Amino acid sequence: MLNPLRSEQEAFRFLIYVVVVVAVIVAVVLVARAL
Amino acid sequence: MESASIAAGGHAGEHHGPPEANQSSRVEAQFLGMLLFIISEIMLFGAFFTAYFFIRVVGDGGWFPMDGDELPKLIAGVNTAILISSSFTMHWALEGARNENRAALRTGMLTTLLLGATFLCVQINEYVHVGFAPADSAQGSIFYGLTGLHGAHVFIGLTLLTFATVRAYRGHFTAKEHRGVEVPGIYWHFVDVMWVVVYTTIYIL
Repeated sequence: MLNPLRSEQEAFRFLIYVVVVVAVIVAVVLVARAL
Repeated sequence: MESASIAAGGHAGEHHGPPEANQSSRVEAQFLGMLLFIISEIMLFGAFFTAYFFIRVVGDGGWFPMDGDELPKLIAGVNTAILISSSFTMHWALEGARNENRAALRTGMLTTLLLGATFLCVQINEYVHVGFAPADSAQGSIFYGLTGLHGAHVFIGLTLLTFATVRAYRGHFTAKEHRGVEVPGIYWHFVDVMWVVVYTTIYIL
C-alpha cells in the first residue's frame, strides 16, 4: 500500500496523485458552477 | 591509553562507548520522526482549514473578490507550477544520490533550493501588492494565516534543503546512505501537497 511517509519515492508518487485528484475536483466544481 | 586499558581490563573485543540505541519499532527512527512530525503538521493545517471553511461556509461575508480586492489567481498559479516543479527536481536529486550520479544530485538540490526560494519571493511580493491587510477582515486574516503558515513551512523546508545541498557539494551521500536527502525530500513533497490544497481552496474554489 502507498505510504507517502515511508520513502521519498512514495511521497513523490503521492504528490502526483494529489495534483491529479485536486485538478479533477476543481474542474468538476468549476464546470458545475458554470452550468 | 586505550590499549593500556584493554591490557589492564582484560577483554580485547569488549564494547566501548555508549550502548547501542534500542529500536523498538520496525520503522526506521528517521522516518518515524518525520512521520510523527508530518501528522502533527496535518493537524495544524487542519485547524487553519477549519477556520477557513467556517468563515466561508457558515459566515455570510462571502469570499474574494470582495470590497474591490481580488486574489492574484494567475500569479499564484504560476507560483504553484514553480513549487510542483521543485518536487520533480527534488526527486531527480534523490535519484542522483541513489545512482551515485553526483552531478544530478548537486544540480537537483540546487535547482530545488532556487525554485523554493523563488516561490517564497513571489509569495512575499504578493503580500506587498495584494491590497488588503490581515486586520481588514476575517477573510483577510485567514488568507494571510493559511498562506503565511504554508510560507513558514517553505522556509523551514528551504533550511533543510540548504543543509542537504551543502552536504551534497561536500561529497556526502552515497547509493546506500542518502537519508539526508530522502527525509527532507519527504517533507518537501508534503509542503507541495499542502500548497496544492491551499491554492485550490483559497484561490480557485
